[in-house]
Amino acid sequence: MFHSQARISVEEGRSGPPTPEIVQDTAVGRTPGPASISIFQSFFREDRFFLILSVFIGIFSGLAVVCFRFAIDWCRIYFLGSGAVQSPIRLLLAPTLAGLIIAVLVIHVFPLARGSGVNQTKAALYIYNGYIPLKTAVGKFITSALAIGSGHSLGPEDPSLQIGACLASALGRKLRLSRDHMRLIAPVGAAAGLAAAFNAPISAVLFVIEEVIGRWTAGILGSVVLSAVSSVVVMRWFLGSEPLFRIPPVELLRPSELIAYAVLGIVGGLASVVFASGISTLRPLCKSLRPWTQYLQPALAGLLVGCIAVLGAPQVMGAGYQYMDEAMHGQFTWQFMAILALLKIVATLLSFVSGTPGGMFAPTLFIGAMFGAAVGGAEHALLPHLSWSPGTYALVGMGVLFAGFLRAPMTSVFMVLEVSGNYSIIVPVIVANTFAYVISRTLQPVPIFDALSRQDGLELPSMEEQREESILRVEDAMQPPTEVLLEAKDTLDKAWKLASQREGNDVLLVRFSPSGWGSMDRDELKGFVEDGKGSQTLESILAGSSQIPYLHPDQPLDIALRYVDRWPLVPVVNRANLRELEGVITQRDVLERYRDFGGE
Amino acid sequence: MAKEPRRLDLSPYLTREPVILAVLTGLAIASFLTVTGLSRLYSAQQASLAERWSARGVNDLNAQRYQIAITEFRTALLYDRDNGAYQLSLAQALMGLNRTDEADAYLVNLWARQPENGVVNLELARIAAKKNQTERALRFYHNAIYAIWPGGQETERRKTRLELINYLLQINARTQAESELIALETDIGEDPSQQTRLGELFVRVQDYNRALSAFRAALKLDRGNPRANAGAGIATFEMGQYAAAQRYLREAVAASSGDTASSALLATTESVLKMDPFRPQISDVERNQIAINAFNAAGDRLKACPSAAGAGAPPAPKPAAPSIAEAGGLAQQWQKLKPQMTPRGLRQNPDLLNTAMNLSFQIEHQATSTCGPGGPADKALLFIANLHEEN
Repeated sequence: MFHSQARISVEEGRSGPPTPEIVQDTAVGRTPGPASISIFQSFFREDRFFLILSVFIGIFSGLAVVCFRFAIDWCRIYFLGSGAVQSPIRLLLAPTLAGLIIAVLVIHVFPLARGSGVNQTKAALYIYNGYIPLKTAVGKFITSALAIGSGHSLGPEDPSLQIGACLASALGRKLRLSRDHMRLIAPVGAAAGLAAAFNAPISAVLFVIEEVIGRWTAGILGSVVLSAVSSVVVMRWFLGSEPLFRIPPVELLRPSELIAYAVLGIVGGLASVVFASGISTLRPLCKSLRPWTQYLQPALAGLLVGCIAVLGAPQVMGAGYQYMDEAMHGQFTWQFMAILALLKIVATLLSFVSGTPGGMFAPTLFIGAMFGAAVGGAEHALLPHLSWSPGTYALVGMGVLFAGFLRAPMTSVFMVLEVSGNYSIIVPVIVANTFAYVISRTLQPVPIFDALSRQDGLELPSMEEQREESILRVEDAMQPPTEVLLEAKDTLDKAWKLASQREGNDVLLVRFSPSGWGSMDRDELKGFVEDGKGSQTLESILAGSSQIPYLHPDQPLDIALRYVDRWPLVPVVNRANLRELEGVITQRDVLERYRDFGGE
Repeated sequence: MAKEPRRLDLSPYLTREPVILAVLTGLAIASFLTVTGLSRLYSAQQASLAERWSARGVNDLNAQRYQIAITEFRTALLYDRDNGAYQLSLAQALMGLNRTDEADAYLVNLWARQPENGVVNLELARIAAKKNQTERALRFYHNAIYAIWPGGQETERRKTRLELINYLLQINARTQAESELIALETDIGEDPSQQTRLGELFVRVQDYNRALSAFRAALKLDRGNPRANAGAGIATFEMGQYAAAQRYLREAVAASSGDTASSALLATTESVLKMDPFRPQISDVERNQIAINAFNAAGDRLKACPSAAGAGAPPAPKPAAPSIAEAGGLAQQWQKLKPQMTPRGLRQNPDLLNTAMNLSFQIEHQATSTCGPGGPADKALLFIANLHEEN
């Protein structure tokens, strides 16, 4: 029945018939053979094959990220030495010289390797049909490893994300996937790259869904989850499965202590705004400088970061995970951690706005950890009865900056849980993140990734705006059920009697038993009666024609658009009782509602 | 017509997808092997750097250069961040600089991963003890005693229990210390030095019977052990077995002439023996003379401590004789008895000896509480008083 087909198509979210390309590619379209062949061929239908491909994308991304980690460590050892304390000469020279090399590479060899990599992946999805050149992955790998290893204040996560996306895109192109799958393949690779970099598959999946793809569907989710999980498995195979940070379980002595975490959320929210505003303001400024300065900007940024290190804060160099760990173990005073957080903001601003390739995730976590532990320490100094653990505050601080700066509220909560493996921290994290997110949204309406893409001249969809966009529903456009309602078992005479008593639409709705809806033209009904068929039931007359689809009041109005041009009147029925008419909707109603909405 | 043999047709299976899958699998295996090679190189380098820095850290930790050791262990952890031994060493270096909070943070994390690790439990107990967190300290000490230790498990457990006992004595938890000592008693084998140490600890918790047994066990194994003789002397002295104490202490002093504590205790013991009129196997004449001497010594103490002279009877463990208690000031009582304290007076009045000795004991108690401890004779009188009162 058409009606039921229409329902399935709405619920599953299939946007339309398969493209000719898919039909050509899928094995199902080939000559059917014995049962074993047909099972074999259905196994390799493109959507299923895409899931298998996601596992391979995960494996390759995981391997690439493992190599990327090795490269960063090797660069660090060769640039800065193997000790935890480096000589001032190295601290100054390593990031400066690396900056010069990176500038040449980025300007002449890998121009697409600039930036963090998140927006590039989004651009691949929305603009370039999933296309990211493989050269970008190579460039990102080399330049980011040089930058992070030499001490630039950047992190490896966003580059890992982009490397994963690049590999996936290259694989998709080689396999000549359909356009729909090609678009999706970059985010699938991105999830794998990020999951391996963070050792956090849930956060990676959430981040990609929340910030890159922006919608949840079973098909996308399956691929993203498979790739993320397989990349994490590969990464753990080589680098171990321990969580990034370990802290003891959180014990809140009394619920009022959540206020302390709320204060941390407020401070973190303000810090996020400062950090994001700094990047939004300085980046275009640096880009607008004369072209030859682009050769010197990364080197100068490196020199300044080196100066900060020489002046007493070498902790700001590189990703800084080891120092986050030390902060969690109470190795610094809260005053020093506050200073470190501020200096890290400065160092990351310098490194990032100079165009040095590298990510912002790790610096964000560093700033958050330091602010968190500093705020916790200050609170404890003021109110000694507070239960105080630097590890807890540092972890909550990480989540706070993640929510406030990167504006990924869901990811921020799960990220903290995953990197610590500690569930007891969830309540403080949610409280603090909510404050940070609200403050950041209020004071900095444009999220950082959106701001960056607009600076690059790309109008990528804002996931935050999409999330909070108010959408029109069927109930906003439908008219009350004042029309004449005919029962399918009524005779035509009875139906005509009812119809002629009331003026209204030319089309009359017919309700079938036990369910289903049909329609009949007023003139058509009159014609049947005049032809002497008045004793027949509507059911017998409508038996050959198809039933009409129905809608529910809570469905998006877009869905109504699919039906209103084919059926002049579409019933809107109750979800609990499909025979109960709640309203009717016509093309005119829909268009008028959209026109009014545009005016609002 | 002959039936044509059926040919296996694989062509439907040889589609594009399985071939791609096979190629990808091959590629994945090749990449995996390559990365495994790289990973081995990387791991070897990381392990070598970790070991190098940790070895330096251990040297500096042993040389008590804690600050340098901390940096070195941190560097080692950079290359092997989950290494429990490095974390423990770092915590120990931090403790060396009294940075207990920082050490505690590392140890608590280590403990979460290895709650059965004896060293971690012991270090946590020490930190808690330093921070006066008694309950926590006791919990970790007990964990450490029953935990797993690398190497000599029994020795480490015994050492830990000894440390716990010392801690308990430090916080005046004598009863708990005594329980731990009783538990320790069964673990100590035939080692004279261990038995001696055990006896000394029993002396500290004032369980003199067990102390004496331990010292005797030590002396059985090492007859001339001066520490065991001295300890046995103390234990017997405290139990009022002055003759035995004299014997042990003489042995101790003879073996170690520099043992001033034993010499002093021996002098006191000898005074006690000399000034005790109640001891058996002496003649009445000798007993009366000893009582007169003791009475005179108490009189001297009264003169040296005049503030005690006017006082009434001190709150002695046992009430003094009613006649004295009612008599008023100690000096008056002493003066009143003085004329009677002659060999003849004592012979004529057999109760006089008890009365005179009770008064002497009261005077000594009062003088000690007012003016502090007196000379050897006064101390001896107090010991005799205690012994007499206990009997």
